[in-house]
Amino acid sequence: MKTYTNWIKTASLVLWVVAVLTSCDKTIDEPQRTGYAPASIDENAGTWKTYLLNSPTEIPVAEPKPVSSSEYIAELASLKQKSASLTKEQREAVDYWGAGAVYRWNEIARELSARYNIPPAYNADGKYPVPDAANPLADPKFPFANPPYASRALAYLSVAQYDALVAAWNYKYKYKRAAPSKTDATIPVALPVSGLPTYPSEDAVVAAASVTILKAMFPGEVPFLEAKMKEHRESRQWAGMNVESDLVAGVDLGNAVAARVMARAKTDGMAAANNQALTAGMIDKAKERGLREVWLSQELPLRPPMLPNYGAVLPWNFDRATVVTLRPGPPPALDSPEFKKNLEELQTIQKNQTREQARIANYWADGAGSYTPPGHWHRTAANASYEAKHSEVRMARNLALVGTALMDAAITCWDTKYYYYYPRPQQFNVKTSVGLPNFPSYTSGHSTFSAAAATVMGYLFPEQAETFTKQAQEASVSRMYGLIHYRFDCEVGLKAGTEVGKYAITRAKADGSGL
Amino acid sequence: MRNFIKVLVVSAVFVTGKVNAQMPHDAIYMSKGSVCVATLYGKSTWTNYWENSLKRSNSNIGMHTTQNVLVMPAIGITNRLNVILNLPYVWTQTSAGNLLGQKGLQDLSGWLKYKVLSTHGFSLHAVAGASLPIGKYVPDFLPMSIGLQCKTVSGRLIANYKHRPTGLYVNAHGTYLWRSNIKVDRDAYQADNRVYNTDEVGVPNAYDLGLRLGVLRKMWQTELWAERSSCTHGDYVRRNDMPFPTNNMQASTVGWYGKFQPRNIGLNARVGYVVDGRNVGQSTNYSVGVLYLFKL
Repeated sequence: MKTYTNWIKTASLVLWVVAVLTSCDKTIDEPQRTGYAPASIDENAGTWKTYLLNSPTEIPVAEPKPVSSSEYIAELASLKQKSASLTKEQREAVDYWGAGAVYRWNEIARELSARYNIPPAYNADGKYPVPDAANPLADPKFPFANPPYASRALAYLSVAQYDALVAAWNYKYKYKRAAPSKTDATIPVALPVSGLPTYPSEDAVVAAASVTILKAMFPGEVPFLEAKMKEHRESRQWAGMNVESDLVAGVDLGNAVAARVMARAKTDGMAAANNQALTAGMIDKAKERGLREVWLSQELPLRPPMLPNYGAVLPWNFDRATVVTLRPGPPPALDSPEFKKNLEELQTIQKNQTREQARIANYWADGAGSYTPPGHWHRTAANASYEAKHSEVRMARNLALVGTALMDAAITCWDTKYYYYYPRPQQFNVKTSVGLPNFPSYTSGHSTFSAAAATVMGYLFPEQAETFTKQAQEASVSRMYGLIHYRFDCEVGLKAGTEVGKYAITRAKADGSGL
Repeated sequence: MRNFIKVLVVSAVFVTGKVNAQMPHDAIYMSKGSVCVATLYGKSTWTNYWENSLKRSNSNIGMHTTQNVLVMPAIGITNRLNVILNLPYVWTQTSAGNLLGQKGLQDLSGWLKYKVLSTHGFSLHAVAGASLPIGKYVPDFLPMSIGLQCKTVSGRLIANYKHRPTGLYVNAHGTYLWRSNIKVDRDAYQADNRVYNTDEVGVPNAYDLGLRLGVLRKMWQTELWAERSSCTHGDYVRRNDMPFPTNNMQASTVGWYGKFQPRNIGLNARVGYVVDGRNVGQSTNYSVGVLYLFKL
């Protein structure tokens, strides 16, 4: 008996000590991003093809005062004072923004997407109120940043950043104002200084363009965005990187370019994307084509389907007519042996879902409360550009190419989903371990998004192409492991996404970057 | 959301130590060399839950049910030092909607209970507890997850007064629970109104307070109890969103406990009802168990 009790005593003590040692550290380790001098400053980026500006000179930027002028000398003196000694908070702001203007504003946009990605709750009448842009913080908050919405917000953000930076690069090399610390070597600098001319400030251009887009996309976040912008702007002076006139010119240019970009956003068809009146006709047509059982919301009360007319939104890298040509052929008939086989595959996974299948399903779920699959791939693109030490303008190009491909993927996929109006596995008694999106099954959005992004990413980072392809395949199959898509939804979605991505590559090859 | 129940009824009950039989929160000891093994079945259900402070139901969940079976031995090392162990198997389901129920072995818990002093019916007890996840269950598919994957350590003080002639007793306890960070399958998540770009999730520490009034006789025990459990901090369930391990889950629970043990075989039962909470389900839970007492 003594042996038993001693053993139990020892085991309990060991358990307790192990737990004590492992329970105490509450620090959350996140990847830290710091500033870098770009591998190339891309001197010729002022000639790259813009998306919406007719030319990089469409928005005028006034010639700056010469570096010998009294005004500029006064600006240098002011800068020297602001950068002389920094508080801890100022130092942290410099480090944070020093990771990159495009990088940080993309990250902020993803964070807002996550914050607003919650479907409205039903009210006492069993109805789902539609979020109201004029009253964005009421319940339900505007927007519901679902995957198509996030893809669009991030695409416009990236295009605005890119067009604004191309214009900025044009003026930088037109006016060739060297960095303040190159004119006055006694100015303390807290970040790496490259040979890039600093007028207009690329940071101010990106901040202003980003804030203009994001205020429109997330109208409840105006104070948050303005505070971020203020900190970003000030951090450039605390870091000794930009004088006031660099920043003022950058803000003006960024605002003007973003206004051009928002003009497209206002007329791209998004206003009609949630036209629920169209669904009756869509259902009739799907039935005429022989579909026995159409998609039905699996929520109670029945939730209107997500953005049924998003397929009519204006794409970036091809025209509306092409959307129809990119639409895949029909899914298997519900009475076919092929459908039966695909459904049985899911039933088998449901019975015996392995932990690894659950892990893959969870990793790629990017569901409610996340920045969605488009956000996931923006993060991948931003991180790859960061690792490669790309310049601001090149990172913006990468994100614009990936971002427009992702929005194009959303458009083609949503067109396909509502054309076929195909039922989810849950209509055949399958459960889900990741949550069920409220729109038709065929084809898989994750597959389309991921293939489109991976295709573009493989072109931009050829040495990592295989990795991206594998990630896209895993994202695709994750929807089967999560039990919400048939295999054919995923496989056909991957193919369609790949085709969408190729259009962005065609653009990339012809944009004058030579990259 | 279920995890609340899980956390409160399973973790709190098990991890912080609230299961029945000879329990980590009572003033009962196995004498040296004796062992009481409790085999319990527990069930916890809720229909309403608190989304932050908003009490609501959800027609896509219906009634949420968590069930468990567990074996819980209490062992007398000495007359004033006991070891209690516990390992539950847990499974979840809903009556509506399409969320896949989860099931599996949860966490192994252990407590050392020590009678610090005892005089004139008053006694003071110190309990040190710890738990380790055993199953590889998914911790952030709430409310379907069966646990949070935390490693925990807890410290508890129990004060007890027993009127010996009648067996009437009053008992109060307080517990502090340290909980480790956990890893989730995704590598980015939202909490505290921001996005964390990591798979590591900080789970807040927690505490509970309990008050019990009962009668303990040689063969039986009956008790009314009330408990308050809370995290020390944490965020909240956003409007119409799902719960997350970072949430500040709070609950006030009232209930009854009874035990009947004429010889070495006995029975116990416990019921509890959450009267108020935050970020948890308003659960009704009960458990029944068979007790078996023997000498080593």
